[in-house]
Amino acid sequence: MASDRGVEVEGLSKTFRIPHEKRATVFETLAGALRKNEYEVFNVLEDVTFSVTEGECVGIIGDNGSGKSTLLKVIANILRPTKGRVAVRGRMTPFLELGVGFQPDLTVRENVGMYATIMGLSNGMIRDRIEDVIEFAGLGRFEDAKLKNLSSGMQVRLAFSTAIQTDPDILLIDEVLAVGDMEFQQKCFEVFKRYRREGVTILFVSHDLGAVRRFCDKALLLSHGRQVAFGETGDIIDRYVYGGEGRDRPEGARTEGGGSGATGEEVVAAQPEAPPIEEAAAKPRRWGDGRVVIAEVELLDKFGARGERFSSFDPMTVRIRYYAKERVADPIFGIALYDDMGRHLYGTNTELKDHPIESVQGEGKVDLQVARIPMLAGKFFLTVAAHTRDGKPYDWLDKQYSFEVVPAGRDAGIIEVPCRWARE
Amino acid sequence: MLHRAMALVRGQKLITPTHLRDIYGYRDLILRLAWSDFKLRYKNSILGFFWSLLEPLLMLLVLYVVFSHLMKIQVEHYQLFLLLGIILWNFLDRGTSMGIFGIVGKPALVQKVYFPRDVLIISACTTALMMTALEFIVFVAFMAVFGVAPTAAVLYFPLIFALLFVLVYGLSLALSALNVYFRDVQFIWRVILQAGFFATPILYPITIFPADLQRVVMANPMARIITTSRDSVLYGAAPAAGDLAYVALAAVVILLAGYLIFDHFEPGFAEEI
Repeated sequence: MASDRGVEVEGLSKTFRIPHEKRATVFETLAGALRKNEYEVFNVLEDVTFSVTEGECVGIIGDNGSGKSTLLKVIANILRPTKGRVAVRGRMTPFLELGVGFQPDLTVRENVGMYATIMGLSNGMIRDRIEDVIEFAGLGRFEDAKLKNLSSGMQVRLAFSTAIQTDPDILLIDEVLAVGDMEFQQKCFEVFKRYRREGVTILFVSHDLGAVRRFCDKALLLSHGRQVAFGETGDIIDRYVYGGEGRDRPEGARTEGGGSGATGEEVVAAQPEAPPIEEAAAKPRRWGDGRVVIAEVELLDKFGARGERFSSFDPMTVRIRYYAKERVADPIFGIALYDDMGRHLYGTNTELKDHPIESVQGEGKVDLQVARIPMLAGKFFLTVAAHTRDGKPYDWLDKQYSFEVVPAGRDAGIIEVPCRWARE
Repeated sequence: MLHRAMALVRGQKLITPTHLRDIYGYRDLILRLAWSDFKLRYKNSILGFFWSLLEPLLMLLVLYVVFSHLMKIQVEHYQLFLLLGIILWNFLDRGTSMGIFGIVGKPALVQKVYFPRDVLIISACTTALMMTALEFIVFVAFMAVFGVAPTAAVLYFPLIFALLFVLVYGLSLALSALNVYFRDVQFIWRVILQAGFFATPILYPITIFPADLQRVVMANPMARIITTSRDSVLYGAAPAAGDLAYVALAAVVILLAGYLIFDHFEPGFAEEI
């Protein structure tokens, strides 16, 4: 047989036909035979081509509804391609859901046997390993209990410890890691690491970009069923996070404005976006005497492009474009950072950072360079202000700017504390 | 090993020697699915098992009283004649009724994992076979009670029953696939089964009909399966070669038709279910 294992997907398209009128019975079909039944055609996947060679781990990323799961199901042969070809060489095990075929009325032991068989283990292997499986799930005392009497956490543990007994050549994983607590996720990662070491080819659908970055050699980015990019993981994640590719633009997303050419009056007239936080509507969102006007604030990623999503630990620049009709001496520019609960996380300004600005007049810009975004994940709001040395605001934009941080690692919490472990 | 390392190019047809070999590779799964369904049906209890035997026995009692005493049907070993007919018909009834839900009744197995879908249908028919096997134990006990000893002709019976299994499997393939797309197939099939029960010589011997009508009734393969079974098990008569050939042909044709229909609808199962 074919010497090297892997998966090849060539020009794959998958179309769902959604009839306007669902005919689910013989009766309806006969009754409706004379009328034409029209279909709504929905392209879930369009012309996807990539190949995975033996031992590679490929992450499939993209927004909800981009066709990730459908792609996995087509590779698993559960759905059939409308066009194109999928070739799978090697024994394949799909982890699309844990505990497929579990019967609540059968005992733990019987369910392990059943599920293991579905996952492709032979009876002999099951006999040898069943004790270990039940032990590993921590259910030694419950092996003759009916499955329905176990908690859902126990059932997931049981399913997982059964599923990992398979030794496939190719593993398909769909968001399995999204269920379970931290400890369980940790266990999952250990197992996937083991599979990787053993040279198992893995296709991995996930929203957890940190996990994809850590595990996958390559990544495939899908957007609305189309293949945006396939290549080295870091590049693809950057394209997803910064490129705006494969993402639905959020409503009211900032677009490049007239920018530097704007006069003071125009800028004041062009109010920034709707308030990011609900309560903010009641409070004024912008105030100041307007002697210095903040014309525009750009959040720049490591490629110097504007964006609203940033990877944790990446650099970022906050570029403040201002305009002063008349000369203003000794202005101070500052920012304040808030989380999505409105908690004040951080604040600084040109004075605190000892970067005095003698005076401003006309247009200009000042950059705040963040070498490394310390927040791990979440949505954050930014206040940008220009004021006098004694705190009288020229222009104060309260929490008017927001951005999102996507995780790059697996540390828990809100911010990264720079640290390392040492022993002896 | 259940899965074997092999090149899988999608879109292969199901009726190929390769596929039959694959199915054989899935025998562990078929048996385990069948066995777990069997257990679930009896709720894991001995009592459940007796209840399930009680049903055909009660039916037997009622039919026996009605037909042998009220309608004066004169048949040698009428109790056994009736019981064998009911058991064989029950196998058809159960096998197809369970087979018809083989796909729509197991959405998780169709949508979340892949194995050849006909595995589900074979396992449903196997569950029915297990239940029928229990009834045959009762039948053998009845034979002993009524002092009917089988002759060498009984050796034909496994062959006849195997043909019945093929026939039931073929029907189940077609029905299960159709039922995914047309959910009223299950109701239509129940009506057909009801009618079939009376149109098949289960309660009565075929000889109650005039000769030309007999030919019409015997066009039904079930009629031939039941009469030849009775001959071989109860009356020590080898079945006519013509009858066997007819049944075998019918079974094979239905199996092929079943696979063609199943094959046609199979790619859409996960979407339509």
